[in-house]
Amino acid sequence: MAMNSKLNIVISGVGGQGIVTLARIIGEAAVNNDVKVLIAETHGLSQRGGSVEVHVRLGNVYAPLVPKGGADILLSMELIESARNVDYLNKDGMVISSDTILRPPIPGVKLPKKEEIIKEFEKNNIKYYLIPTKELAEKIGSYQSENMILLGALYKFSQISKFINIDSIKESIKTMRNPEINIKAFELGNSL
Amino acid sequence: MNNLLNKAGSKVLLMGNEAIARGFIEAGGGFAAAYPGTPSTEIVETLAEVAPLLGIHVEWSVNEKVALESAYGASISNVRALAAMKHVGLNVAADALASISYTGVRAGLVVISAEDPSMWSSQNEQDNRYYGMLTYTPVLDPSDPQEAKDLTKTAFELSEKLSHPILMVPTTRVSHTRSNVILDKVTPPKAKGNFAKENSRFGLVPANSRNLRDKLINKWNIIKDSFEKFEPYNRIENEEKDKIAIISSGSSYQYVKEVNEEVGNYRLIKISTPYPLPRKFILKGLEDVEKILVVEELEPIVENQLKNIVNEEGLSIKIEGKSYVGYSGEMTLERARKAVREFLGLSIEQPLTKKLDIKLPERPPSFCPGCPHRATFYSLKRAVNSLMLKPIYSGDIGCYSLGINSPYDEQDIILEMGGSIGIANGLAHVSENQVPIAIIGDSTFYHAGIPGLINAIYNKSPILVLVLDNRTTGMTGEQPDPSSGLTAVGEETKVIDIAKVAEGVGVEKIIVFDPFNIKESTNMLKEALSYVVKEKKPAVAIAKKACALNAVRIANKIHIEIPIYQVLENKCTACGICYNAFACPAIFVKEDKKAWIEPSLCTGCGVCAETCPYDAIKPVKIIDKRWDSVWQ
Repeated sequence: MAMNSKLNIVISGVGGQGIVTLARIIGEAAVNNDVKVLIAETHGLSQRGGSVEVHVRLGNVYAPLVPKGGADILLSMELIESARNVDYLNKDGMVISSDTILRPPIPGVKLPKKEEIIKEFEKNNIKYYLIPTKELAEKIGSYQSENMILLGALYKFSQISKFINIDSIKESIKTMRNPEINIKAFELGNSL
Repeated sequence: MNNLLNKAGSKVLLMGNEAIARGFIEAGGGFAAAYPGTPSTEIVETLAEVAPLLGIHVEWSVNEKVALESAYGASISNVRALAAMKHVGLNVAADALASISYTGVRAGLVVISAEDPSMWSSQNEQDNRYYGMLTYTPVLDPSDPQEAKDLTKTAFELSEKLSHPILMVPTTRVSHTRSNVILDKVTPPKAKGNFAKENSRFGLVPANSRNLRDKLINKWNIIKDSFEKFEPYNRIENEEKDKIAIISSGSSYQYVKEVNEEVGNYRLIKISTPYPLPRKFILKGLEDVEKILVVEELEPIVENQLKNIVNEEGLSIKIEGKSYVGYSGEMTLERARKAVREFLGLSIEQPLTKKLDIKLPERPPSFCPGCPHRATFYSLKRAVNSLMLKPIYSGDIGCYSLGINSPYDEQDIILEMGGSIGIANGLAHVSENQVPIAIIGDSTFYHAGIPGLINAIYNKSPILVLVLDNRTTGMTGEQPDPSSGLTAVGEETKVIDIAKVAEGVGVEKIIVFDPFNIKESTNMLKEALSYVVKEKKPAVAIAKKACALNAVRIANKIHIEIPIYQVLENKCTACGICYNAFACPAIFVKEDKKAWIEPSLCTGCGVCAETCPYDAIKPVKIIDKRWDSVWQ
């Protein structure tokens, strides 16, 4: 890791999707690599099915929050939440997102289509990777592991490997409740 | 994954609140009490997990006042004690705090008030550093999790040395930020001590208080001096730079530090003691400085003290602060950058942010699937409508505050903890034809609702007090409360029966209902409301059903299958009652407007089946006989 380098990740999704856990796994791995990490969570009402945002900063960083226009990566467990948070991306920032769309529980709510969101990513020159996390999680028989599949995809497609080595991520996943299946999920995401 | 008891020297990932808990353990603390509140909850929650191992006393107190009084009791018995709360909780505990500085303490007493700039989970963003000024209590403001841990330990030592309480005010971005923390060694806890009598000091009758007040003024000078050398928490960076300086307090320092590196590393004065601001240290920082920018969140606490010092010293230094930084909301890099660059006369480039040309639906928080509050709000509205009443829903602080949203619209007023009943009392005595309905949760009822209820009886206020008893403090993450039958450390204890409390204070009409039974709930609420209107007296209605998150957790633990419900296609008439009026997030609308239940979200409460007039919602399988028991 270069002395002055830093990596800004904004993780978004819906309360209950395992976003805080995902961020914590990155954080534990960073600590094991002796890399400075800051993970800022906004709790409170968010566990009741609302939008959740967690900021993860690695390297030469002090402030806990990523500024608008400052994220290298927008990592998202849900596609509408990806679209909602693109203003965090910097000029070259990329989206790594689950292709899942979850309907907010509002009577008569109108949902955007996946294709519309993709078209907008392209119109704005946003580099994106859409991961069929739900499908892949079903494939390995663990609905709870979508977040680890996304983490695998993050490791594969982003510069995070310059900050954290793969073994320490796996070590940190091993502290989770179902280590074998979650390692499998991570590897699946990392092999896409 | 609990790193809290790892050995000295290890580097671990800790959330600010966990770091504070570790600081308490490193200081050998023996007593911790709190009332849960975001962003403070995890301090005592984490300590409760390790309390049996350490042999210390950790409790959820019924409110912040009791938490602080309890901690004070431990401290004056020579046990280091901590009381934790969210910022507005300190309003409740302020009565105690204002006098504790008169008596002082014995073993270290540290009060943590976790601040919430931007109001991520609060009703206001008051700056509790003012409480330090009001009560002669020194205020410490950590800038990150490592410092939160270290300062907690230091605070205990200092509190004990000065025989004085210390107030620490971490913000959301310290309390709820995880970062690398290096641990120090744990001091074996001292959890027992005896109270040595000293009436002239601990008995605040006027004669004693007058004495103590004069002593306090003198002691304050010693306290102020003790912060003059407070490294590394207070320090001057880039001291060789002159003319221009920036001073920042608490977590703002981390933002300013990053911006300062971008603009050329000006002299930076870092403060962790916003009150009292150490004069000699500050004057050293101001040497050869012509202008200085104060970067702090919320109110100009450091700024005003700094202006005062500069004025008294007759210095000609230009001091800027709030005019560049602004008042509302938490610090961000954008905000710190704009303030610093404007102050330096540098141009400000707005980063080009991407924006999609697409309409996105909002995703507000909502009641969980299976939440008993949804059912209660549904029945309450039916009862009110069928009696053709004009209700005023006097709401309160808890998950049920979400009842302010459509389609429920049953929280007209939300002010503070326990306020629902007191406000309803005022509404009742001036209203000509409206019926005040105070809506309050179990934890909030114990916290500050009971005096309001006694007042309603005493002053003959015609109100309905509806207690939503889900047997836990739901909003902050299901901490046990006096309705749970469990203490913070998981020991069994007496359940404090709300109906009996109401009966004991003289309520003559009390109904207890199961909110999952819509018909019965509606009828009972009608009965209670009719009583209030006819008899012009208060009535209490108690909706009793466990929090859905707890019920599902218990079911999973004892291997009871959650009964999933489904919509019978041939019977559904697409009326929309289940998804529009009851509005469970597990129920979706299909293209033909018929309902569909998402099996992964359904928690098997079965209330939608009750709301369906066409009998079109049924469980998929036969329900386990033990199912009802998990909701008790």
